[in-house]
Amino acid sequence: MATKAQKKLIEELVRHYRERIPEFKTFASVLRTQILGSPMLRKHIRFIRVRIKEPDHLRDKLYRKLKEATDKRKKFSYSKKNLFVKINDLAGLRIIHLHTQQIIPVRDGLRTLFDEERYRVVAGPTARIWDEEYKRFFKDAGIATKTGKTLYTSVHYVLKPNRKTPITCELQVRTLLEEVWGEVDHELNYPHESDILACREQLAALARATWSCNRLIDAIYRTKADADQRRGMDS
Amino acid sequence: MPPNSMKRHKSKRIAIFNHKGGVGKTTLTINIAAALARLGKRVLLLDSDPQCNLTSYLVDPDVVDDMLDSSETPKGRTVWTAVRPVAEGTADVKVVEPIETSISRLFLIPGDIALSKYEQDLHTSWGECFQRRVRGFRGVSALSFLANSVSAAYEIDFVFYDSGPNIGPLNRSILLDCDFFAVPASCDGFSVQALKTLGRTLYEWVRDWSTVMNLAPDDIYLLRGRPTFVGHIIQRFREYAEQPATSYRAFIPRIERGITSDVVNVLRELDKSLAPLSSTQYKLGQIKDFGRLAPQAQLQGVPIWKVGNANESDNAWEVFKALAEKIIERTNGN
Repeated sequence: MATKAQKKLIEELVRHYRERIPEFKTFASVLRTQILGSPMLRKHIRFIRVRIKEPDHLRDKLYRKLKEATDKRKKFSYSKKNLFVKINDLAGLRIIHLHTQQIIPVRDGLRTLFDEERYRVVAGPTARIWDEEYKRFFKDAGIATKTGKTLYTSVHYVLKPNRKTPITCELQVRTLLEEVWGEVDHELNYPHESDILACREQLAALARATWSCNRLIDAIYRTKADADQRRGMDS
Repeated sequence: MPPNSMKRHKSKRIAIFNHKGGVGKTTLTINIAAALARLGKRVLLLDSDPQCNLTSYLVDPDVVDDMLDSSETPKGRTVWTAVRPVAEGTADVKVVEPIETSISRLFLIPGDIALSKYEQDLHTSWGECFQRRVRGFRGVSALSFLANSVSAAYEIDFVFYDSGPNIGPLNRSILLDCDFFAVPASCDGFSVQALKTLGRTLYEWVRDWSTVMNLAPDDIYLLRGRPTFVGHIIQRFREYAEQPATSYRAFIPRIERGITSDVVNVLRELDKSLAPLSSTQYKLGQIKDFGRLAPQAQLQGVPIWKVGNANESDNAWEVFKALAEKIIERTNGN
């Protein structure tokens, strides 16, 4: 149960965020335009989704963090000063591509864009992945991997516009099928985790099904690339 | 030094600004600037009004004509000579040498009718700033960069921008570059009405530029974006027995109320430090109608205290000296 002072603090933090929403919106929309304008990137991208966190969802999140801190007998350490440093998903951009190998040119295109447009990468790229075969693939591509508690998969970056401004934008890169699973998971478990066992079980099964399709798409593109290469060698 | 990494010079940049015309912006600017120079400060006047009234005040018409004709040649030294490479996208600001006026320690970068060409591009530059484009920042900060470079080279203490009577993109860049601004108002209903748009417009400019600044890449030369209100100057009223005549007196409280509600309170909504004084402190001064002295001074290109008899001259000097001293006091330590 939150104290009066804690409730007041959370309301202050939400208000502080609300005042800065135009900045988050501009940040994300500029980044979107720049990514779509990049010849290195646009040919690999199916679409981009931009999301700015609803103030009510931030409030929920802060209450969740407060509960976690109270349960662990720790201090709830959020303040106006560190809010945007501690929470990095207030503005989010999701790049959707078709098959996993495209992460290589996308990574290169993003690196070039971040250099040219002078963004600061404060975290990432990090791949959230549970499939051992793909962990190796990402490691070989120089992308760190992380295994989370859920079956969520995606490559993450966190960007800052400059040294001074604390606000960040989270960038996720994932395939169309990872997005399918992610969307169902989001509907079911956000902002509060579903307590229906059958749904949780089916969601776990869906992760394997979409991942298999994803693997199949990768196989098709690898086969095609291999065939193209051979044909090139023959001629 | 590449423009992007240039540090802001410590000179105080000020605009005597009101988008309503005919409130005496240019006359006030020249006289306050000249008073500061007389008090020992080094002052730069940057004529950023495409109508060039300030330049015409201080420089002979033939010389003005020559300067305008040669502004696009290597000999050019107007404000357009300086910003043209940026407007045309060919190079950075060309730092021109200011003219030393007949008043010691008072320097002038002459205005230019062609500056309106630069103003047209400022719409695009403003949008590019939101896109974090270096070209956009270069565009909107061209005049600021010029003021900065000349301030450093000539050890300037105060820069005064003279601006046209509008709320267009040129004045937006000027006001956002200023450390301070003062509002001249005359005793009429339109002057009171104008305060509403003035306060709201400044609010929007500062708020939008704050977004731009927060998202701008590192090491970009930026407009300061925080024009602090130093007060208002009521002027051109007639006096009767050293008191404003009745018809003018009625407007003074209306102007003062308007300043509080439409400028001070609106800016304080955004940030209290933009209007840091208490509401009774914003009266910078009252300038009476100097009658025949003002046109005489303008004709001769001198401050008002340089014309008229000894008594008139002393009176005029006292008025502007007091204003200049208040400006020194209010702009200290910011």
